[in-house]
Amino acid sequence: MLKIDNLHAAVADKPILKGLSLTINAGEIHAIMGPNGAGKSTLGYTLGGRPGYVVTGGSVSFNDADLLALEPHERAAAGLFLGFQYPVEIPGVSFVQFLRESVNAQRKARGEEPLSGGDFLKLAREQAGRLRMDMDMLKRPVNVGFSGGEKKRAEMVQMGILDPCLAILDETDSGLDIDALRICGEGINAIMRKPDKAVLLITHYQRLLDYVKPDFVHVLAGGRIVKSGGPELALQLEEQGYEAVAA
Amino acid sequence: MTEQVQDQKDQAAREAAAKVADYEHGWSADIETEFAPKGLDENTVRFISAKKNEPEWMLEWRLKAYRHWLTMPMPDWAKLNIPPIDYQDAYYYAAPKPKKVLASLDEVDPEILEVYKKLGIPLEEQKVLAGVEGARKVAVDAVFDSVSVATTFREELKKAGVIFLSISEAIREYPDLVKRWLGKVVPMHDNFFAALNCAVFSDGTFVYIPEGVRCPMELSTYFRINAENTGQFERTLIVADKGAYVSYLEGCTAPQRDENQLHAAVVELVALDDAEIKYSTVQNWYPGDAEGKGGIYNFVTKRALCQGARSKVSWTQVETGSAVTWKYPSCVLNGEDSVGEFYSVAVTNNFQQADTGTKMIHNGKGSRSTIVSKGISAGRSQNTYRGLVRVAPQAEGVRNFTQCDSLLLGKDCGAHTVPYIEVRNPSAQIEHEATTSKISDDQLFYAMQRGLGQEEAVALIVNGFAKEVLQQLPMEFAVEAQKLLGISLEGSVG
Amino acid sequence: MTGARALPTRKDEEFRYADLAALAPLWPVAVEEIVLAAGEVRALTISNTGSQAVVRDLSIRLGAGAQLTLHVLNAAPAYGRIAVRAELGEGSAFTFGAAQLAGGAATLEVVTQVTHAGPDAISRQVVRSVAGGTATANYLGKVLVRPGADGTDGEQSVRAMLLDRTATANARPELEIYADDVKCAHGCAVGELDANGLFYLQSRGLTPADAKRLMLQAFIAEAFVDAADGDDLTAAALAALEQLL
Repeated sequence: MLKIDNLHAAVADKPILKGLSLTINAGEIHAIMGPNGAGKSTLGYTLGGRPGYVVTGGSVSFNDADLLALEPHERAAAGLFLGFQYPVEIPGVSFVQFLRESVNAQRKARGEEPLSGGDFLKLAREQAGRLRMDMDMLKRPVNVGFSGGEKKRAEMVQMGILDPCLAILDETDSGLDIDALRICGEGINAIMRKPDKAVLLITHYQRLLDYVKPDFVHVLAGGRIVKSGGPELALQLEEQGYEAVAA
Repeated sequence: MTEQVQDQKDQAAREAAAKVADYEHGWSADIETEFAPKGLDENTVRFISAKKNEPEWMLEWRLKAYRHWLTMPMPDWAKLNIPPIDYQDAYYYAAPKPKKVLASLDEVDPEILEVYKKLGIPLEEQKVLAGVEGARKVAVDAVFDSVSVATTFREELKKAGVIFLSISEAIREYPDLVKRWLGKVVPMHDNFFAALNCAVFSDGTFVYIPEGVRCPMELSTYFRINAENTGQFERTLIVADKGAYVSYLEGCTAPQRDENQLHAAVVELVALDDAEIKYSTVQNWYPGDAEGKGGIYNFVTKRALCQGARSKVSWTQVETGSAVTWKYPSCVLNGEDSVGEFYSVAVTNNFQQADTGTKMIHNGKGSRSTIVSKGISAGRSQNTYRGLVRVAPQAEGVRNFTQCDSLLLGKDCGAHTVPYIEVRNPSAQIEHEATTSKISDDQLFYAMQRGLGQEEAVALIVNGFAKEVLQQLPMEFAVEAQKLLGISLEGSVG
Repeated sequence: MTGARALPTRKDEEFRYADLAALAPLWPVAVEEIVLAAGEVRALTISNTGSQAVVRDLSIRLGAGAQLTLHVLNAAPAYGRIAVRAELGEGSAFTFGAAQLAGGAATLEVVTQVTHAGPDAISRQVVRSVAGGTATANYLGKVLVRPGADGTDGEQSVRAMLLDRTATANARPELEIYADDVKCAHGCAVGELDANGLFYLQSRGLTPADAKRLMLQAFIAEAFVDAADGDDLTAAALAALEQLL
């Protein structure tokens, strides 16, 4: 589904990704772990097409299309979802309004009929319930006044509503308490653990992986993937630290 | 300056003036006098130019400004309450005269001595400032006792290629440099007081920092507190060539009394590519007595031309004196990615009035400006911030941040903020915030409960309020400025 | 600003950014007096969306404890000037929300002077302007706190957004304060839409144009929060916004 080939990327003229290669097939859950500054968030933002993140080499294909040639909203319509490490507050724009417009924008891009107001609310309620979110929260402006944990759960609700094929989740576990962690983990499993979907979890600590067991674990250091393995690699990292394992 | 040199100068001036003043009018015979006759007319301008031994082009320049000044009305738009100034009732040139020589510090006005003590000025310096006989005469470039300090100072500057001398000397010795930039930043028609200054300026500083040179020491007019000069219409021009850096200090925390009521200085700064000028002012002109009488009117035009790419000018000022202050140190940001900064603390007490602020004119792409203004009002004073941030249509990516805070001490004073924001480019990000507050009873009680007297507590809190600006000052100034804040607010609380 | 005077010039502070040529045929403007008795609560709306130039001059006095909410939508394609002077009595409250949508070659301005004459009064002003084409959107707003008006709580939140390099935004939020026990603040920002916000919306599938529209809509709507007829006003404002985009 996703093939990253020798990707180089820079932010503010500073090279961060230095030849990263990774292949993710449908039905797989991958985890990328690494020390701070390794380029984990840069990978997420670069795949999402954030302004300021410049690709200086390599290629990325997503379902056989050139991902890097697409604008951010086109990547979303193609089935990509980026879970932000720091979800953005947008005063004055309610979640419900925002998500309904997003769903319909994506459906339009794919040549599908838009959802009616009623159908959308039903979908939203369903997804919100799964993540134990009150519909009232979704009537508030996007992320305004939300705690860290609430923001992350809201990201998961969005993911449920938008139903992507590939979810790239950037440090979804940061800022979550034990209960929220479990709820998010269960949410990810319910929404994305399917034979035609895939997940790339970008994480610093291994605890989310207790709930969302990855098929593959990769270590990102110095802008590239330096080691790959199965789920046991995560435990090894936890015990020995990044330096020992990545050496 | 020694008596001998003074005599020589006067002699030369007399001869020059005699050549120039070829009139039937009687006064030309009186060039012996130390003052130009009262009033201002073309003859006064010629007299000044002659006294300064200026070349023809300089006299022409002055006359052009004078003639223009005659056509200009005095502005009154600020929130100031000024009795009309009679421009004919003043002396426009006073030959440098030695300060009254005192036998000892005992003869100095005890009020002034009190201030010197509070400011922590060493005894020797106090003697110099007060003009005590036997104290080293304040020479042009040094305040301290040893000759070697003065010599080393000059040597170092010379080695670095820095030109630092009085503007009159510069007009004679570096006419091309001066001609190139004088009046380019503040043209003579810019405003009423600028025109007046162009016509009658009689002193000031010229600084030129050559390419790539970082001026090895902070330049200071403190060094130039000249026993002989009144500095009434000063004109300063500082030019930093590509990649140069200079930090310039103006003013003195010691109270400056002066017979002259009106001070209309002009300061022009020019920064070329990658150059930086840091200009700091601590001003404590006589504010008038507790009734507000007799204080000094301080109308200054200060402007920087950030002409070069990545050029930077920072204005930092601590204003605690003058009866009336009217100054807007500004930056014209023409260079791409140029930077302008303005940090100000203005304190007004008793009947003082201050209308001060800045103008940041963004013409260059990527130019940025920062404005931090702290106004402290006490007594029956009025303190106004007046600022302009303007973004031209072609200026892409401009950034400005402005913070104006006012602190009111007492019920009878006023604090005003008048910002103008004019934007013509969509990519600009301009942010302005202003707050007004008073020292809360809680804060005061807390400080006093810990042992501070009321005035000490107020000084502490006020310094905290002004900290962001004070920390921009070069160290010597910063320490004195802090003390000055406390002193200027004496009697304001309770 | 009273009707008896000659046509103002650029030297008159309150008209420094005005379109005097457009003002001339409408001058002098009759002053509309609005007086709220002590304790009275009222809400007013001015919606300027027609195609004619409009100049209005309101003089408001709030009695002790009175509350007035005034919402203004200034969106005419010609010249629109809404001037409001409000004098606040003890304990009164004045809430003002204005949205300006300036397109074509229009000059739109909102000019306010809020005087806290008595103690403990509250004033809140929220102004949101969007200017496109070669239009100009202006806000001049003075908050004057008289001696003795202790307990004053005055706030101004002014923001403007330019859509084209040919448009202009001018703002002068002013504070003139003669009492010390007051809480006065103003914030004024002119700038682009937050890039992070735009990317976030686009990453969820909204096209750049839609993302921009959504954020601008939210921006404008801030002026009409808590308006009784907020929905209608917002709808009208959004319709005007569409004309600009």
